[in-house]
Amino acid sequence: MKKMRQNKETENFRVSEKRGNALAVAAGGAGFRLRPPLRRLLPMRLLPKSAGDGRAESGLKRAHFQEWRLPFWLLAPQLFILLLFFFIPSIRALIQAFQLTDPFGATTQWVGFQNFERLFRSNVYWSSAQVTLIFTLAQNLLTLSVALLLAFASNHILRGRGAYRTVLLLPYAIAPAIAGIMLAFLFNPRVGPVAHMLQGIGLDWDPNRNSWHALALIVMAASWKHICYNYIFLVAALLSVPQSILESAYLDGAGPIQRFLRISLPMIAPTLFFLIVINFVYGLFETFAIVDATTRGGPAGATSILVYKVYQDGFVTLDLGSSAAQSVVLMALALFLTFAQFRFVERRVNYSV
Amino acid sequence: MRPFYGALAGAGALLLAGMSTVQAATEIEFWHAMSGALGERVDELVKKFNDSQKDYVVKAIGKGTYDEVLNGTIAAYRAKRQPEIVQSNERSFLTMVNSGAIVSTTELMAQQGHPVEVSKFIAPVVSYYAIDGKLQAMPFNSSTPILFYNRDHFKAAGFDKPGATWQELEPQLDAIKAKGVSKCAMVLPGDYEWSFLENYSAVNDIPYATKRNGMDGLDTNFVFNKGKLVGQVERMKRLVSSGVMQLAGQGIIPIQLFTSGECSTIIASTASHAAVVAAAKFDWSAAELPYEQGVTPRNSVIGGAALWTLKGHTPEKYKAVAAFYDFLAKTDTQVWWHQATGYVPVTTAAYDAAKAQGYYQKNPTREIAVVQLMRGTPSDNSLGFRIGNSNQINVAIMEEVSAAFLGKKPVQQALDDAVSRGNEALRRYEQLNAGKK
Repeated sequence: MKKMRQNKETENFRVSEKRGNALAVAAGGAGFRLRPPLRRLLPMRLLPKSAGDGRAESGLKRAHFQEWRLPFWLLAPQLFILLLFFFIPSIRALIQAFQLTDPFGATTQWVGFQNFERLFRSNVYWSSAQVTLIFTLAQNLLTLSVALLLAFASNHILRGRGAYRTVLLLPYAIAPAIAGIMLAFLFNPRVGPVAHMLQGIGLDWDPNRNSWHALALIVMAASWKHICYNYIFLVAALLSVPQSILESAYLDGAGPIQRFLRISLPMIAPTLFFLIVINFVYGLFETFAIVDATTRGGPAGATSILVYKVYQDGFVTLDLGSSAAQSVVLMALALFLTFAQFRFVERRVNYSV
Repeated sequence: MRPFYGALAGAGALLLAGMSTVQAATEIEFWHAMSGALGERVDELVKKFNDSQKDYVVKAIGKGTYDEVLNGTIAAYRAKRQPEIVQSNERSFLTMVNSGAIVSTTELMAQQGHPVEVSKFIAPVVSYYAIDGKLQAMPFNSSTPILFYNRDHFKAAGFDKPGATWQELEPQLDAIKAKGVSKCAMVLPGDYEWSFLENYSAVNDIPYATKRNGMDGLDTNFVFNKGKLVGQVERMKRLVSSGVMQLAGQGIIPIQLFTSGECSTIIASTASHAAVVAAAKFDWSAAELPYEQGVTPRNSVIGGAALWTLKGHTPEKYKAVAAFYDFLAKTDTQVWWHQATGYVPVTTAAYDAAKAQGYYQKNPTREIAVVQLMRGTPSDNSLGFRIGNSNQINVAIMEEVSAAFLGKKPVQQALDDAVSRGNEALRRYEQLNAGKK
């Protein structure tokens, strides 16, 4: 019995160490440095008893509190923000999804599943789902591969490495609406310089009429904004790949590309996995401003991805019931995707770096 | 320490004095959707009112586009922080009337001792904003689409002016492109469902929706998927696919392609006069909307917006609102606003006054919209539109029609889909507002 418990505990410990490791890698291989300052700051009684009590705990597991009040107050601001900006709106959206309501709130009717029925019957919604699938996959692929390429390249540059990194991070500081409008202008087939260049090389570039061009444009806009985010994590992850292994590979005659593909890439798999999850969430939820500024969902709804439809139906066309139903569906989808990724993809990720 | 307390007391006294002067005048908020040059005109207008008397102060606040203003108003109303006056576009009419959030203008003005006579406003404005002879909102910036054209381009292609009918205009546009005068003979406006579809149906006297386009009840149905309107969308498709009509797309406003001299014509609101006068460096002019050969053209319908009075304020505030509306309806104000912006005068007296000044002799294009709005007796098809859930329907129609002219769907199928999507939204509106007008 006791043995079993111990086993379980060690397993728990392993799991938490896994997470800790993933986080540490994600946070740039800096490791968890929280403990020492915490120890200095807090009164002794609040901290876990150390080594003496015979329970072999270390790492994250050790930084727990024995009393609930302090941790509660430490968490309270975050919980309050979550309550205000996540739980209350989510619950309201859930309620609204079953209502038909006047935008001013003058009349409200309970309509059961009518909003959902309408949604699933609508061809427009299904084609939007299809576009979203293509968009999210393409965006994920482009973002990750370009970020990986840049991280790999800037790791191999010695002179001015910092400057390159700063420049590569800059787009992250640009507001999505501005990025979108700028790209829309640059690629505008009538007046945009980039569009003129494309037309110059014989491409009949016109995102105002061609759905695929428009889709390519929003994939580009969304990725351009998000490459930097991926890049920071990848640079940090690549730095944490032990130099000794790379050197021994070098001595064995592996070139830079081989070293990257055979050693670095598998070792940063946890970060890649984390980024894939994040990129999906980004593509599904945070891209409506970019779509609004770049194509407004056009031409003829060709780039109206699900999250843009939520925005458009809720805030432009004032169809609150449908918008709420859509956001509920989208939330379920995101939960499912994240779950599925942890369930099926994470198994293939090696955390024991 | 002493000088410090002295200074503090002085500051306090100043603050109190300041507050008392502010309190002497009743301040009201006016949220609007006018930006750029038009926004500046609104500020001037409000300043004129504030300077004309001492009892009331109107604070004009630009809140973005019409959609954004409406959204902001809804949020504010639900939080009980709504402004007194809000500008909302013509297609939001039913949304506003049935919101339970507004005070009708006729009622407000009667209560405050400035009774309005509906008859002093021009007919197309009254038919849009009045129910049973009662104005629901204060008519403010009304417009209608007209055809702006680049006279240099027409001359270069060998034409004097654009033809009055589509049958005459189309070959001209083709020729402008074919002769290489311009790569873009026409640019599609962003609000084409208003100028190319709704106004087309009014001018050519064909039904857009049953029950006199919704005027006679919420149980209206769209019927624009047959007859001439199919032909109109076919025409748009032909113009777009042959490259004669270009799409501006995102990143640029269609009127900019006209004022820059790139595109030869645009069908746009008469309020575009402000932009054209400011930016066009070529010989331009304007003409009435083209119509179908063999048709006696009817009046076009208005666009633009009206001012809505929101519920939940004190009687003093409403007194201020009424005084402001009274000022707006004055002939002088109307004439100034009409000339400064390009919107039409909303009262007949203002139109007559502008005419008497000889304004239209010097600026003939300014009169086109007024003449076009007032020509003939409105038929059932040109009274205006009273469509619920109009924002939703608008987006759906534009999505389907653009699918048609981009060649993604056959025209007939796109229009059938637009009608069925529109009717679905109409039924939902009827379900929610059962028993209302």
